[in-house]
Amino acid sequence: MGIGLTMVIWSAIILFLLIVFGYFIGIYNSFIRLKNDIVKSWANIDVLLKQRADELPKLIASVKGYMKHERGLLEGITHARTAFLNAKTMDAKAKADNIISRTLKTLFAVAENYPNLKANENFIQLQGRISGLENEIADRREFYNDSVNTYNIKTESFPDRFIAGLMRLTKKEMFKVAESEKQDVKVEF
Amino acid sequence: MPDVRILTYSLIGLGFGIYLFVSGFRWFREKRLIENMPTSKIRSIAMGMVEIFGEAFPQKGKALKSPFSNNDCVYYRYTIEEYRSSGKSSKWVIVKKGESRTYFYLKDETGSVLIDPKGAKIDIPKDFEFNSSLGKDPPDKIKSFLKSNGVGFEGLFGMNKTMRYIEHFIAPRDKVYIMGTAGDNPFVEEGSSQRNEMDIMMQKGKDFYYISDKPEKDVLKLYGWWVIGGLFGGSALIVGCLFVIFAYIGIL
Repeated sequence: MGIGLTMVIWSAIILFLLIVFGYFIGIYNSFIRLKNDIVKSWANIDVLLKQRADELPKLIASVKGYMKHERGLLEGITHARTAFLNAKTMDAKAKADNIISRTLKTLFAVAENYPNLKANENFIQLQGRISGLENEIADRREFYNDSVNTYNIKTESFPDRFIAGLMRLTKKEMFKVAESEKQDVKVEF
Repeated sequence: MPDVRILTYSLIGLGFGIYLFVSGFRWFREKRLIENMPTSKIRSIAMGMVEIFGEAFPQKGKALKSPFSNNDCVYYRYTIEEYRSSGKSSKWVIVKKGESRTYFYLKDETGSVLIDPKGAKIDIPKDFEFNSSLGKDPPDKIKSFLKSNGVGFEGLFGMNKTMRYIEHFIAPRDKVYIMGTAGDNPFVEEGSSQRNEMDIMMQKGKDFYYISDKPEKDVLKLYGWWVIGGLFGGSALIVGCLFVIFAYIGIL
């Protein structure tokens, strides 16, 4: 066999090995990216949760003059906000978020019983702003869960699971929404 | 002495094979990126690398006109080519090419966001092609475009050259897939808008910027073929060309 043919065969082997090696490097890099994307998408939710928490004192200030008989509800929002601000883990924040979302839903539904409040410009603006934030939080929660789902599927599927095993990657928890939050709020008129 | 053209073509093929092989890895990386990135709703778009899907809309409701077919569009790209012969060989040569640089909007069920197509890899099919040749004049719209751009379609003695005019465009309401960087909208003062997405503009960032009129599933399928073609086609070309080169220099 001539030197040329040997070089051709070796170049074919090297190219094949490069493809295999490159493929696994690609999987490794995409896990790194996925991990960082999950952290980033949680941070993107956290920003909105913080913005919503910042709006709550203004909301309470604008409604408390009208909703004197809903003290328990307003205190519930205040407690949930405090719980959110003190929460250190993602799980604790998610729990506090569920409570805030549920109580806000009730508050806006109960506000229907107060025509003067409903006509208040400040309340209308705050309601619009908070509802907008709620929608964005829901979207970003969905995005976060999609990212986690992709990550979890990759850690379990072939051949990515070998790389995931070497990187000691484990499944991640999704951002769960409380069942009560999915239900409509009933309001008595 | 064997034909020196064989060596030339093999060297060109080797270079192209290496290019394809390296591109195969780049396409593989982009494919994984598209695969792993969930689609964002426009109203809750976050800064950074994002993927969105929706309908294209012109800015201020005023659509552009595509240069050759005069269709309404939000983006167009064109190429004017001339068929040139030299000795035994003949080929199409690009005389002029260009694209629109106008911003447009992408809208989904939650909102709309401004798109700057500059720097994007825009993967859209050919929408229009016309060939002009001896006895076949280009339509008036193309003639006036050629005139305003200083491109002649006539050669010696006023006879028509063989030319072709190709146009790609994104029409209003076309479904468009975009993967790119969501950055600040330079036309809106930061934090002044009521809605989050109004502060944002999709643009070329550090990572890749891709626009297509296909849904994500088809984009991934296309990328799959590019990866296979790049890595395996490139490898085959490299090995084949090396074989011919070594045979030519007599060391096989």
